[in-house]
Amino acid sequence: MGRRIMIVDDAPIVRLMLKDILVYNGYEVVAECSNGAEAVQTYKELKPDLVTLDIIMPEKDGIEALSEILDFDGSAKVVMVTAVDQREALMKAIRLGATDYIVKPFESERVVSAIANALQ
Amino acid sequence: MSSQDKLQKAIKVIAQLSIDTASRTFSKLIKAGATIDLERAFIADISEVTRMFSGSEDEVVGAYVDLVGDAPFTFLFFVSAPDSLMLTDLMLRREVGTTKEFDLYAKSAVQEIGNVLASAIVNVFSRDFGIAMKPTPPAVCRDYIGTVFEEYIMKSAGELNELFVMESRFCVVQFDIKCHMFIVPLPGSDEVLQTVLESPNMKEYY
Repeated sequence: MGRRIMIVDDAPIVRLMLKDILVYNGYEVVAECSNGAEAVQTYKELKPDLVTLDIIMPEKDGIEALSEILDFDGSAKVVMVTAVDQREALMKAIRLGATDYIVKPFESERVVSAIANALQ
Repeated sequence: MSSQDKLQKAIKVIAQLSIDTASRTFSKLIKAGATIDLERAFIADISEVTRMFSGSEDEVVGAYVDLVGDAPFTFLFFVSAPDSLMLTDLMLRREVGTTKEFDLYAKSAVQEIGNVLASAIVNVFSRDFGIAMKPTPPAVCRDYIGTVFEEYIMKSAGELNELFVMESRFCVVQFDIKCHMFIVPLPGSDEVLQTVLESPNMKEYY
């Protein structure tokens, strides 16, 4: 069985695109969430091996969700996903403990590389 | 060159830089070659802008994004309903024609295109002019073009008598998909745009 991944993005098509890439590369997608609040709750229930986490989302954004996930589990592996070259937000995420980041529109190879590196 | 002329020039330069970045981003997102042309960048009376789009019975699907920060803008991307299905297939690397109805993924495709394009424009403002902005989560709409324009652009314009409008036309070459993108500066952005005029990056365009 592949490593367990949780995908968090408010756009269903992005979740599907990421899922297609991950499943094709042997990972198991155990959950999909559409906002940060759902992501935190689902993480606590499922404790996936890794989370892909969009930054800009309604209700609770990715930075806040990242902080809460890491408060719950300091060893959580989180790869941030952003459409904006938000250096401040990304630096904040890395300082909080995010493992890596992917910029949209993403290439399959970059997604796989970021996930593989984070899970090492 | 008068201040008004310089401001218009600034708008056009921002529009062209935005379009160059948006073109590359859009092509990468849909994994197909796309060209984007700046159709018009102009200041117009509110009533004139309204006349441009009222009465049309073309149904479109649009993504609307507020760009907030130092220089507030409104961003609108729209495409015809049938073409939105083709864009969905392109993004998902499916055979074009697979998506046959405007489902959750078709709606999300337009939403995400709007999100990514608006973000690309925010990056232009930040990278080239040091103007900090942030896109809000996009809203998706499906309606007649006049209604979409009225609902999202005109309402954002508020009490303005005039609007700067930057209209771009996309063409996804292989599939003849036509999309439109509007960027409209809002009250509060003109002071920051004046700062853009003084930017070293701008002087080469005078």
